[in-house]
Amino acid sequence: MSSGPMSTGRPRLSRLTRLRRDRSLLLMTVPAVVLLLVFNYAPLFGLVTAFQEYDPLIGVWHSGWVGLEQFGQLLGDPLFWESTVNTLYLSFVQLVLFFPIPIALALLLNSVLSERLRNFVQSVVYLPHFFSWVLAITIFQQMLGGAGVLNQFLRGHDIGTWDVMTNPHTFALLVTSQAIWKEAGWSIIVFLAALAAINTDLYEAAAADGAGRWRRMWHITLPGLRGVVVLMLVLRLGNALSVGFEQFLVQRDAVGHDAADVLDTFSFYYGIATGNYSYGAAAGLFKSIISLLLIWGANKLAHAFGEDGLYRK
Amino acid sequence: MGNELSRRHFLGAAAAIAGTAAATPLLSACGDGAQQTTGANSEAGLKAALPAYVPNTPVKPDIPSVAGGPDVLTDPGFLSYPANPVATVSGKPGKGGSYTAVTPLWGTVPTADNSFYQAMNAALGVTLAMKPADGNNYATIIPTMTAARKLPDWIQLPSWWNPNFNVGELAGTQLADLTPYLAGDKVKKYPNLAAIPSGAWRAGAWGDKLYGIPSFSSGFAVAGVVFHRRDVLEAKGITADQVRSAADLMNLGKELTNAKAGVWAFDDVWTYMFPSWNLPLKWAVDGGKLVHKYEMPAFLDAMEWHYTLATSGYLHPDAIAGDNANAVTRFYAGKTLIGGGGAGAWNLADHQSGVAANPNYRRGAFNALAADGKSAPRIFLGASTSEISYLNANLKPAQIEELLAVANYLAAPYGTAEYTMVNFGVEGQHYTRQNGVPTATDEGKKDVQAQTFPFLASPSAVVSNPGGDVVTKDYTSWQIANVKALTKPVFWNMNITMPQWASTADAAQAVEDTVKDCYHGKKKVSDVQAAISTWKSSGGDRLKQWMTDNVLNKYGTGQ
Repeated sequence: MSSGPMSTGRPRLSRLTRLRRDRSLLLMTVPAVVLLLVFNYAPLFGLVTAFQEYDPLIGVWHSGWVGLEQFGQLLGDPLFWESTVNTLYLSFVQLVLFFPIPIALALLLNSVLSERLRNFVQSVVYLPHFFSWVLAITIFQQMLGGAGVLNQFLRGHDIGTWDVMTNPHTFALLVTSQAIWKEAGWSIIVFLAALAAINTDLYEAAAADGAGRWRRMWHITLPGLRGVVVLMLVLRLGNALSVGFEQFLVQRDAVGHDAADVLDTFSFYYGIATGNYSYGAAAGLFKSIISLLLIWGANKLAHAFGEDGLYRK
Repeated sequence: MGNELSRRHFLGAAAAIAGTAAATPLLSACGDGAQQTTGANSEAGLKAALPAYVPNTPVKPDIPSVAGGPDVLTDPGFLSYPANPVATVSGKPGKGGSYTAVTPLWGTVPTADNSFYQAMNAALGVTLAMKPADGNNYATIIPTMTAARKLPDWIQLPSWWNPNFNVGELAGTQLADLTPYLAGDKVKKYPNLAAIPSGAWRAGAWGDKLYGIPSFSSGFAVAGVVFHRRDVLEAKGITADQVRSAADLMNLGKELTNAKAGVWAFDDVWTYMFPSWNLPLKWAVDGGKLVHKYEMPAFLDAMEWHYTLATSGYLHPDAIAGDNANAVTRFYAGKTLIGGGGAGAWNLADHQSGVAANPNYRRGAFNALAADGKSAPRIFLGASTSEISYLNANLKPAQIEELLAVANYLAAPYGTAEYTMVNFGVEGQHYTRQNGVPTATDEGKKDVQAQTFPFLASPSAVVSNPGGDVVTKDYTSWQIANVKALTKPVFWNMNITMPQWASTADAAQAVEDTVKDCYHGKKKVSDVQAAISTWKSSGGDRLKQWMTDNVLNKYGTGQ
């Protein structure tokens, strides 16, 4: 075997050779793979409860088998469909209103020249990501709630109060603004990384050729970001049925269950909370299957448009 | 200590009630599709299994118990701790056996084999390895043991689980039948266990047999109380006995609310108020027929009142936003003046926190009232206990007798030598006397106050708040004033095992969600009506038939 650099024209190497060649890389992935196996794959066994009338006291092995009964019941449950509609609606609103914001923020930050200012702004917008949802919502409630700072001020000046925390009709906008406040700063990281990866020579060459700010953004920055944007979009679509859990759990009483119930809270309230574990598991499994189809479809679509999607074809 | 423990007990009960809207019937989900037994007890069969009740008060209470009717008894109040506690057990109860025990603990787990455990083992004459498990995750820890059939010798299985866990299914297979040891006069061998009222033993009975040993039992278990800030109301010249109807309360809402000052009269009260409309917690029997509260016209009246309360602006906006966690802070701060809660909230720690926020702080409660102001007011009696311990079915008869003797020691009444040992430890090491009151040392705080033994067996509840006599006096006098209103609900203290579909219908999550939206003013009463008719057709009617056939017709009302 020659010791020179491998050329792509050669026939495929044997499995053993490839294993030996990549051993240190493979070794580095072991912790992540173990993590996945233990926390993501092993619990898949629990899905069997979706086909049972599971009783935790007697365990999986002794619980009665009911086949697809739970699913039949689920598909006939109007509350389940309400939660599905809520989930899709919230997902759509977040896609339209939330998704572009980190990209815009990343572009703005990237154009700030002072490094100190950029770091400062970045830290400020990151910070809320580390708050729990309970805390984030408490802050919203203290500021905008019925007895909060804003409404007590309005009340004190005999101006009508503004009910935003408990209004089911504007709930989608409320949760999206909460999500933007809390997560937009964190989401810019991946876009900033993509921006940093763009070759600065391109900007210099374009500037030398007389391209202005806008032309440089249009012809260099945005095409440079396109791959990442598409990747994030694919992931977002695949997760269309997961819009969050705690955020809705905490605010469910505030706006009522029919505005706040999404698929995850449905599983919780109508499954776990009433001891109907199998029903909750069935709803969860149903959601996972649809999500899998969505992510598969979105990835196909990305490939069709000539993008990488989740992996290069 | 004593207060801490009864508070937890009541909080536990209140939590279970809030979660399922069920109080006394310990409805249990049956997971096994094949099994259709109800696990309920028949009145005659159960009578034969229940231990005799032989009251035993070696320490005379300052405020004695008052009986209200069968199984209804106020908790005695104590204003001081006996200087020389008397002993009720002679010699050591144990014969040197070795056992393990698992109990829930809300707090830091004491180190294994600490000085208190050693002292207890020496006093008990057994080696009892205590293995407290985190109370907040208890419901997920125990099923792994039962599913593997590896229960310890002695285990606490709280009854507020019963809606989710089928304890009845373990009775006889994994949990020992105690009927042969305790039924009728046999319990007299264990006088401190005999002093626990029969009602509490019912909660640990399954299929006419006795399995559980009750802890923290009370003859005055109620779902909750409508509290008020007595100091604030009295300063305005309002006393609790002036409030006699729902309309009076609504007027109070108007009078006390001052939104500009950030004061709203009410926090959530629905759970504790709705029985005032002559509604049962779940079921009533009318002319021999079972009726669910959802089917009663009065239910909608109650709903209407609460809807009006919220939409009139008398309910604190944070309560409407579903923030229950801070309800007690709002109450201490005087931002709300009336609110519902478990009776266990009336304790020393509450008094101290309240006084820290406002030196005048005084908690009060409204007497039971009838919404129309004319009918006889009622409060429903809750399950006599929600903490029950069980022995392993694999133990030999001699071992069971040894552990029952240990339980007898643990159940010694308030103020006895054994009670002092179990709750305070060894004098000088775990506690010292300050103004006559046993006060924990640092070692005692760590090892004794993190309670383990009382979860295996303990005497019935007493009211005692050393350093806060006003709390003891207020609470006991409220109990005495309301003891006549205490009523046993249908299926009181009956353990009912249901198939899964029935327990889902029984939980009626969709209706309860709409009810909550309605008393927060977000849904109209007509929406509740619609949710109820959906519930009836999707399982409610079938549930009623099942309850009629399998419980009412077979075992009666349990009243």
